[in-house]
Amino acid sequence: MSLHDQDDLALRHAQEERLRAAWEPPRGLFLRWTDTNNNRVGVWYTLTAFGFMLFAGVLALIMRTQLAVPDNDLVSPATFNQLFTLHGSAMMFLFAVPMFEAVSIILLPQLLGARDLPFPRLSAFGYWSFLLGGVFVLGSIFFNVAPDGGWFMYPPFTTRTDLSGLGADIWMLGLSFIEVSSVAAAVELIVGILKFRPPGMRLNLMPLYAWYILVVAVMILFAFPPLIAGDLLFEMERLLGWPFFDASKGGDPLLWQHLFWIFGHPEVYIIFLPSIALFAMLVPTFSQRHLLGYPYIVLAAVGTAFLSFGLWVHHMFATGLPKISLAFFSAASQAVVIPTGVQIFALIATIAAGRVIFSTPMLYATGSLAIFVIGGLTGVMVAIVPFDWQAHDTYFVVAHLHYVLIGGTLLPLIAGLYYYWPLITGKKLSDKLGRTAFWIMFAGANLTFFPMHFSGLLGMPRRVVTYSAELGIGWLNMLSTAGSYVFAAGMLVVVVDLCLSPRRAKAARNPWNAGTLEWLALPEDENWGIRSVPLIETRYPIWDQPDFMRKVDEGRFFLPDAEEGRRETISTTVLDARPLAVVRLGGPSWLPMMTAFALGGVFIFTTYHLYWAALASGFLTLAVTLRWLWTTAEIPEKPLKPIGHGLELPLYISGPQAPGWWAMFITMIADATAFSGLVFGYYFFWTIHPEFPPPWADGPGLGWPMIALAITLAGWVATIMARTMNKRDAALPTRLLLGAAGLLSVLAIPAGLAGPWLSGLDPTAHSYPAIVWTLAIWTVAHSGVGAIAQFYALARSLAGRMTAQYDADIRNVTLYHHFMVFTAIVTWCTLGLFPEVA
Amino acid sequence: MGSRNTLSHLAKPIVSGAGLALLSGCNRHQSALAPFGEDAAAIEHLTIVMVVGAVVIAIALALLMRWAVKSPEGSLTLISGERLIVILGAILPAVLLLGLLVYSLPQMRPHPVEAADLKIDVTGEQFWWRVRYAPPGGEPVISANAIRIPVGRTVLFRLTASDVVHSFWIPGLAGKMDMIPGRVNELPVKATKPGVYRGQCTEFCGLSHAWMAFEVVAMEPAAFDRWLAAERRPAKPIDGRGRALFASYGCGGCHAIGGTDQSGTVGPDLTHIAARRSIGAGALPVTQDALVRFIRASSEVKPGSRMPAFPQMSEGDARDIARYLGELR
Amino acid sequence: MIRKLHSHIGSLQATLWTLIVAPTTWAVHFLFSYLWAAVYCAKTGQFAEEPLVYWVGTGLALLVIAISGYIAVIQSRVPGDPAPHEHSTESDRLRFIAYSTMLLAGLSFIGVIFTAAPVLILEDCR
Repeated sequence: MSLHDQDDLALRHAQEERLRAAWEPPRGLFLRWTDTNNNRVGVWYTLTAFGFMLFAGVLALIMRTQLAVPDNDLVSPATFNQLFTLHGSAMMFLFAVPMFEAVSIILLPQLLGARDLPFPRLSAFGYWSFLLGGVFVLGSIFFNVAPDGGWFMYPPFTTRTDLSGLGADIWMLGLSFIEVSSVAAAVELIVGILKFRPPGMRLNLMPLYAWYILVVAVMILFAFPPLIAGDLLFEMERLLGWPFFDASKGGDPLLWQHLFWIFGHPEVYIIFLPSIALFAMLVPTFSQRHLLGYPYIVLAAVGTAFLSFGLWVHHMFATGLPKISLAFFSAASQAVVIPTGVQIFALIATIAAGRVIFSTPMLYATGSLAIFVIGGLTGVMVAIVPFDWQAHDTYFVVAHLHYVLIGGTLLPLIAGLYYYWPLITGKKLSDKLGRTAFWIMFAGANLTFFPMHFSGLLGMPRRVVTYSAELGIGWLNMLSTAGSYVFAAGMLVVVVDLCLSPRRAKAARNPWNAGTLEWLALPEDENWGIRSVPLIETRYPIWDQPDFMRKVDEGRFFLPDAEEGRRETISTTVLDARPLAVVRLGGPSWLPMMTAFALGGVFIFTTYHLYWAALASGFLTLAVTLRWLWTTAEIPEKPLKPIGHGLELPLYISGPQAPGWWAMFITMIADATAFSGLVFGYYFFWTIHPEFPPPWADGPGLGWPMIALAITLAGWVATIMARTMNKRDAALPTRLLLGAAGLLSVLAIPAGLAGPWLSGLDPTAHSYPAIVWTLAIWTVAHSGVGAIAQFYALARSLAGRMTAQYDADIRNVTLYHHFMVFTAIVTWCTLGLFPEVA
Repeated sequence: MGSRNTLSHLAKPIVSGAGLALLSGCNRHQSALAPFGEDAAAIEHLTIVMVVGAVVIAIALALLMRWAVKSPEGSLTLISGERLIVILGAILPAVLLLGLLVYSLPQMRPHPVEAADLKIDVTGEQFWWRVRYAPPGGEPVISANAIRIPVGRTVLFRLTASDVVHSFWIPGLAGKMDMIPGRVNELPVKATKPGVYRGQCTEFCGLSHAWMAFEVVAMEPAAFDRWLAAERRPAKPIDGRGRALFASYGCGGCHAIGGTDQSGTVGPDLTHIAARRSIGAGALPVTQDALVRFIRASSEVKPGSRMPAFPQMSEGDARDIARYLGELR
Repeated sequence: MIRKLHSHIGSLQATLWTLIVAPTTWAVHFLFSYLWAAVYCAKTGQFAEEPLVYWVGTGLALLVIAISGYIAVIQSRVPGDPAPHEHSTESDRLRFIAYSTMLLAGLSFIGVIFTAAPVLILEDCR
């Protein structure tokens, strides 16, 4: 096939028919929900997150009504505590984070000229988990059992079952479930950005949105797992009485605060950076020029990501930690302002250098920057330790965080909504309604939150159901309450605008005259995403590459056909986006939804202490997951496939070139981070106790941990040898080695548990045995998963789905075991050797 | 309770006009903007410096933004644009912030504490404050829900909690410090102005978090010493029906009254309850009616309070007990 | 000799991993600062017993960042078309990563100085 073949109209029509057939969405009342196409799943995801946001907003209105006047008793304290807990938790976990993932699921493939994300079924799994978890958590308020311990859930208030009820479990387990799906989305987005860019889109040409999402997804990998580790300890304490946070048994409430805020502060940037990413797309469009200072934006995104992990203690300035520790975090909190400043000035410079079109999205962008800057300036104030001692946990902080989140997340998202609505629906939203809504919300936000700076300094603590009239802050609160209703009215105008959209006519293609790839989308969207995968030569191809749109539309670039009727896209190299392979994507399936519901069952049944049902659900999850995995890494009917222009690409890749290998690598990084959270727990207990392990406690001894370590190492060596044998096409030794490795991994389980078991360590007695047991269980559970992986590879080999040439399975299993060995070395050396040296 | 206050509170700003002067006039007893201690005064100064800086920066940014929008195409080249980003976006904030950091760090140093300084142990409980004065060389004095300190002398608060995390905040005196089970946090302070002030719990601690306050009285040193000596002694003994009822209802299982055999330690010490300005840690004023209400159904006033309700107690009995308590000065 | 070194540096591979050398160094230094102070304060009640160790560590971190920045500066001057480096060529990609690495090294350098400043001013654990 050459360029000129595409001159043939009949051929183009035939290609389009084949593409359309391959990307045909499932229809029917039930079947349509098995769709996995990013357009569909992304839109469901976005709408659901938007709905949760409105719900959480209504909760806030009820709170503001209660606080309108002093000594009010409209809402009981029990209800009020549920309201603010759910408001904060929902805005963070059910709106801000998922919303950015949802938007990215829609936008990224378009931005990268890919037909879909690398793992469409994983996106669908993420969505169904999110929906189930979100409804479970939010629905609890209708049964008056919603979480009521604050969104930060500080123990011991929340771990003592006599002080807090089912709500704490609903928070912990329901949101853990959602955190798992967030990590899954992060894996998907990272692989998508690194491996699924169009040919020619080297790192220096990547749209800034993709840079930001890459950075943010990596942050999720390091931020969420410590919270998942914390959740695990938390539920062990609540359900089994293991005293991690109980000071009377050697625990410490501060351990939770550390783990929570190691997640909680990066989280703030996880939800703020995507907004700047949206700005970095729409500001160049409405300045009609390239973004000025591209490397500066990349610097700022990467720099912020790093610095944001050095801020967590600034939520703990009043906990009595040594002043020098506070000072380090205060310093980092100051330093993080620098990259933020760079981003804002890069946007300002672009606006100054360009020809500004002051459109509705631009109005939202500048307005939200103004609000964000105020929040940023008060952020600098609270980063100064002595000032924070006054402001901490008062309404000053409430004002600060809402300025940051409204200016840094909510209004930018609405800017994005007005900007990208034509991309998704083919229709523009109303400028008139949009601008009206903007000014109402802008006024409302300032009226609500500006007075709170003063009510805080005048003595109003956070999370109080009411306040005394003698504080004299009734009128400030009345202003805030009035403002909140104004703000809600503005949001209502946006909702009305959205509801009117179906009646409006379609707009032209690329209505804003933008320069980036996503605007190739046609008003009548085709499910195939992009007609042919383009060769990229500039950052703004629609502006700078001649005849770009026509060439894409006429299929003159790569992969313009779906000869085998399969969903396909091109995978490229990380640095230079050289074409590597044609990757076949998963189509519509029940499996993602079933896996999500089965996994949800594990969490939800555990909440209600239905352990047998939870266990059954767990086995179901395992079965469905294995069934799902079995469909992956399929051996193609031919080794190579032409993609046009004389290029032939393989249909199968494995090892570090393959998306699947990257997904495993990234997942294991997240897993290792969660593990390091638990290890942090062990050494944290060492620092707070004069003697640790406590002198009366017999440790797990040296012998059994070392035996467990030796067995794990042997299994690891056997796995590596199996990989080598497989490469040499020696099927029998491969299978024998895999079987042996699997058995060794199984053996590591009793060997690992024997130490704490035989020495009679009682995990309910003290934090030391509790953390020893936790590390041991974590590690042997990983041995168990490792055994399943080894037996899976064996089964694949026996089924003829894994051969010397098609070896993705064993390479991924080996990669898992590299991390396994790391986990085992750290655990067994800590448990066995540390008591000897401490 | 409720909305009847709405109008008067709305009218206030209209009548007196807005502004910081008004704000600090709102209340002078629980406000970071009305300091009566050295630390709070230093922080107020820091606050003013930072607010002025923030306002200047915000205005400058707004003007710059306006210029950027209005300026014709090509007002900045690639070179001048990058220079703008580096100088205004990176170098200027780095210099300003390093300055602010170096300016603020020394203010984190706590007051030096001598062995001869008064120590006050305060324990946060759901939802009240256990107070124990430990004067140098003297026997400790037990109290609750009110704190008195001498002006001009360093006082060291030693803070902890018995059940959940609380936070100890007297905005006019100093910044807050958390009270964490299993840990003792130290907060040295020095009051400068005598007066009656208020503190409040600022870490969410449960149903009655909003009603966990206390009064703070800063006194001249000599008056404080006299007061502490008097506080050590029980209130004048009264033999009345109320005192007998107090015992027969078993109140002494939880509460102590100095000079009697009522010596419970679960709840607040009531030896000098009538000398305080409020009961229930800021929940109600010390009046006979309020005492009656609190005695019969404390959890209506303070949800989640551990004090049991006494629905079977007659109004008359409650009044007698209240009268007895009202004499404990 | 310097020219030889420069041409050697110019031929080094610049990747996403080399991009994050400087901020990773900041992170390691930050973690080291925090753990050093936290463990000393918890175990001995004072942290400034061996500030020399701390300053050597800080100097080391600054050195690593400076080297990363130096390499990046040289790489960003590899000849090619003028800025902005927005063409799909090998040299533009190299210069883009080098330029970003250089900026990150600058930020990390400032970051380490910020982190170390408290040790000059605060002396004890209270």
